[in-house]
Amino acid sequence: MEQRAHFHKKLEELKMQVLRMAALSEKAVYNSIKSYLEYNSDLAEDVIMGDIEINDLENAIDRFNLELLALDQPMAKDLRSIVGAMRITMNLERLGDEAVNLAHRALFLSTRPPLPYNQKMEQLTETSKKMLASALKSFVEEDVKLAEQVCAMDNEADELSLKILKQYINDMVTESRIVERGVHAIMAARHLERVGDLATNVAETVIFIVEGENVKHRCRG
Amino acid sequence: MAKQIKVASEGLNFYYGEFKALDNITLEFEEHQVTALIGPSGCGKSTYLRCINRMNDLIPGTRVEGRLTLGNEDIYAPGLDVVALRRRIGMVFQKPNPFPKTIFENVAYGLRVNGVRDKQAIEQQVVESLRRAALWDEVKDRLHSSALGLSGGQQQRLCIARALAVEPEVVLMDEPASALDPIATQKIEDLIHELKKNFTIIIVTHSMQQAARVSDRTAFFYMGRLIEVDRTKTMFTQPKNKQTEDYITGRFG
Repeated sequence: MEQRAHFHKKLEELKMQVLRMAALSEKAVYNSIKSYLEYNSDLAEDVIMGDIEINDLENAIDRFNLELLALDQPMAKDLRSIVGAMRITMNLERLGDEAVNLAHRALFLSTRPPLPYNQKMEQLTETSKKMLASALKSFVEEDVKLAEQVCAMDNEADELSLKILKQYINDMVTESRIVERGVHAIMAARHLERVGDLATNVAETVIFIVEGENVKHRCRG
Repeated sequence: MAKQIKVASEGLNFYYGEFKALDNITLEFEEHQVTALIGPSGCGKSTYLRCINRMNDLIPGTRVEGRLTLGNEDIYAPGLDVVALRRRIGMVFQKPNPFPKTIFENVAYGLRVNGVRDKQAIEQQVVESLRRAALWDEVKDRLHSSALGLSGGQQQRLCIARALAVEPEVVLMDEPASALDPIATQKIEDLIHELKKNFTIIIVTHSMQQAARVSDRTAFFYMGRLIEVDRTKTMFTQPKNKQTEDYITGRFG
């Protein structure tokens, strides 16, 4: 017989709130990338404005987590789910911040002539989006294998970011008029690489929730 | 350094008539550790506890198979002096059960039964036991008043002092705080932390939070079987068995 039905309903509600926040953060990252690639200042403004909702939701989930810990004294997987929700919301909030940072780069660049095409930059946007989508899917479905795949992709994002840095430095050495734009583009690559890092943090937390194993700083490819 | 095993059972079965209440329990208890036995009502945890000091001998129609040892000695060896065994393995019950005597006499009782006649030695041991049970400060001015005038929490600590007075090696506790209010419960729990320095403690509790707070190791029983035993920290954060997980997260029980 289910003994803690009321508490388990509250845990489901917690997961729904985290998923709502995840949807907002993912949308912010996607739109910030779109605004960057398409020089779309309106979309960039939307991302910046939308961050308030993500921050508010983080605070609400924090309060809910504290109440669950204090009032229900969870154990085992229930405890890990709550601690996991705390870690994931923290990373979702940072994802929102990275989206805002990228949107600021997009705003600036939207007022300037386009930079030379950089194929690696496009690859990095795809890798970051894929890592984030997979990390969130692994959370929804408690899919440890998928979470491990996300962790293994982290190196790919790091390497791409480094290649982009080198590419833009070369471009700037050749063409000094693009230095200001180039610096913004390098920063944009850094934001995208951070998206990959934060997605990896989410994936590591999924492994912790499901298996109880702490793989932080160990599972990255 | 390897821990000393104080109490151990190997393939222990216990029957109430035809009913098998314990099924093949193999379990070890380390010296100076608190081990909590948890599980739903009827899972066998109290039966197991009562096997350790042969309290079940008093129930007609019961039968034990397998091996249960205290140190290297077989607890069920033929001809074993059960009274001497219970001196080495004290017990505290769910409801405080002081004798209708003075506080002093309650604690001195076990010593007198064991033939201690030296008044000074008895007095010294009574004081020491009351101190160990964290009751001394509350009763030192009324040692010769009736024990029945104490609060429930004080009575339970008196029963602990009574158990400690004969210097047992192991203290069995069968839901020692279930009849107490939260403050009295907290005192008993603090006391358990202190007592493990000198004694090996095995506690049956229905409160998972209590097991988590007081014990070093936890054993989960279900339907007469030992399902899982591990360090308490592991049991309550990362149990290996699905039944343990479901029980401690309240998904059944």
